[in-house]
Amino acid sequence: MSKNDGLRQGMQIAFKLGTELTVATLIGALMGYGIDNLLGTRPWGLAAGVILGGAAGSLNVYRAAMLLVIEEDDNNS
Amino acid sequence: MESPLHHFEVHTIIPIHIGGLDLSINNAIVAMWVGLAIVAGAFMLVVSRGVNPVPGKLQSVLEVALEFIRSMVYEFIGEEEGKKYVPFIATLFLFILACNLIGLVPGSYTITSQVAVTGAIAVGIFIMTLVIGFGKHGMHFFGILVPPGIPKIMIPLMIPIEIISMLARPISLAVRLFANMTAGHTVLAVLFGLAMTGPLWLGWLPFSFTIVINGLEIAIAFIQAYIFTTLTCVYIGDVIKLH
Repeated sequence: MSKNDGLRQGMQIAFKLGTELTVATLIGALMGYGIDNLLGTRPWGLAAGVILGGAAGSLNVYRAAMLLVIEEDDNNS
Repeated sequence: MESPLHHFEVHTIIPIHIGGLDLSINNAIVAMWVGLAIVAGAFMLVVSRGVNPVPGKLQSVLEVALEFIRSMVYEFIGEEEGKKYVPFIATLFLFILACNLIGLVPGSYTITSQVAVTGAIAVGIFIMTLVIGFGKHGMHFFGILVPPGIPKIMIPLMIPIEIISMLARPISLAVRLFANMTAGHTVLAVLFGLAMTGPLWLGWLPFSFTIVINGLEIAIAFIQAYIFTTLTCVYIGDVIKLH
């Protein structure tokens, strides 16, 4: 049962981190697309938006992962 | 053969139309009322009986739940600041948990499988964190957009990144809960469909899987409610501490 629990927790963590990255990238892309439509700078806004969004997603994943590390340390001690 | 997504459909029960607004009572709203009634009813029952120093069965369950939530809030927000958020976080946790668990009763409706519901909760929390941040720090709140200890040359790059990562929070909060509940219930429905359409010598196999997955879904109902409230605490804690 404990092994199964570990797998399930791992899946949950993977899904959690996955959504963080996807959502941030999508928002960055949407903002870039919106800026393109407003200012007529297609396709540069979209390109910059995707890159910034990916950076933001990585940052969010990093923060979420650091939180998990702290929780695990608490459990061990 | 019904579609596996059939049980996510919203059916109007009592149509109410006021000035072009559709305020009809549908099965989702009824399920939400049942969730509220269970949570509120359990606490009312304990309080109306009188809170005992030696807790009974229901009282000890609720006490354990509240103490768990309180320790979570204290951990992420801090003991002094966290006190006033305990009722809100506890309500959120118990409501989401009740909604998730009600969805597992056959024939009922999973409200948290509607992105409109989870989105409304998440956007409400997002606006709340902004209000708390501006109320506490005033214009210094914009400092949250600049992480501590970065070189000055990076600031123009970090501000858009931080804005995107702030905006991504409520959406990932909403999408995570919605996707988990929808996926789990769709799997259950598909397996039930297989069990009902297959011959008996084969149908027992998917049917026994549904029992296993049902157990998994109960665990997911708890885990998702926990994740949702933990992240809410983290977001509130972030705005209060400003790094």
